[in-house]
Amino acid sequence: MSEPSKQDIHAYLEELEDIPGTRVFTAARARKGYWLNQFCMTLMKADNRERFRADERAYLDEWPMTEAQKQAVLKRDYNAALDEGGNIYFLAKVFFTDEISFLQAVGTMTGMSPADYQAMMLAGGRSPVGVRSKKDPY
Amino acid sequence: MARITAGVASSHIPALGASIDNGKTAEPYWASCFAGFDWTRAWEAAQKPDVVILVFNDHASAFDMNIIPTFAIGCGERYASADEGWGPRPVPDVIGDPDLAWHIAQSCILDEFDMTIVNTMDVDHGLTVPLSLMFGQPEAWPCKVVPLAVNVVTYPPPTGNRCYALGEAIARAVASYPEDLNVQIWGTGGMSHQLQGPRAGLINAEWDQRFLDDLTADPQRLRHIPHIEYLRETGSEGIELVMWLIMRGALGAGVKELHRHYHVPASNTAVGHIVLEPTD
Repeated sequence: MSEPSKQDIHAYLEELEDIPGTRVFTAARARKGYWLNQFCMTLMKADNRERFRADERAYLDEWPMTEAQKQAVLKRDYNAALDEGGNIYFLAKVFFTDEISFLQAVGTMTGMSPADYQAMMLAGGRSPVGVRSKKDPY
Repeated sequence: MARITAGVASSHIPALGASIDNGKTAEPYWASCFAGFDWTRAWEAAQKPDVVILVFNDHASAFDMNIIPTFAIGCGERYASADEGWGPRPVPDVIGDPDLAWHIAQSCILDEFDMTIVNTMDVDHGLTVPLSLMFGQPEAWPCKVVPLAVNVVTYPPPTGNRCYALGEAIARAVASYPEDLNVQIWGTGGMSHQLQGPRAGLINAEWDQRFLDDLTADPQRLRHIPHIEYLRETGSEGIELVMWLIMRGALGAGVKELHRHYHVPASNTAVGHIVLEPTD
């Protein structure tokens, strides 16, 4: 058995914030987004999806979410939802409720048009060159 | 005695499941992606595993923010397909092997892995898409499945080193199970992809191919890749590759590569797939 790593948790967490255009789902984000993410889970039931579709605002008001979290959902602003502690696998319940695909939803976060995003993927995706680090791009 | 006869790894993209369920696998966008699984479907039909230990990650389906187990082993009799927001996938229930699963759980706990025991859960695309890729669309899945869910959503996920060592512990558990069973272990999810934020769509084919190479050539290198490298090089969801190291750790020191497939893109992601056979 090899030696277990002795990772400094503070250094570990600091590095996770160094990636451009990326919100790693840390404990701090998980705490902030608890009710946003738990609201998303309720959309795993068809009855709830119907109630949400019928009156999104009223449905959101049933959960102790912040106004910023509710606005992010109402506007389908997934970058804002990530900033409010949302996690993409939870938020997926919202865009599946909207009957749009991962490809369509993910593209909305990049600032690219759906066609341009799809074309980028077909051409091999986004290169990691230059987007590996905020502090020291390479 | 039970024995692990092969390791299979594959991405488990939900769009692949939707493509299968909606009869779209022959469409130009999908055809070359699915062609890479033809060899494996024929091979699996000949191999006839009794049980697959299927390492996957739950995508906020069985586990929400209330319970976040790092390693959870399914010890139940059967598992239904989860409703992830578009209704459950139309696939057969997954039949468990509670006796083997409990045996693995007990053995791993004594081996100092603190497994969470799960008896009731629905299984999402992370588990059902690989079954569809390897077995097609049968009336019933041709083998029992022991689900092994790994947290790769809430940080920190387990290290690659820990995952590799868990694979070694699973191999010891299987080898000490008295029933004569042909067991495979699958590692699912992974290859480069990022599903969030302005950096979404990241693909690093060169890094992915080196990872595939080193599953046979240098697995000891792979177990020490830090989380930050997966994030920088393969996108935020590329971290799922640590699950492949549970599969690899269970195969022992030497392996032979039987089949490999790599394709970009399927939806937002790179598809990786490999079949390995232990050689010692």
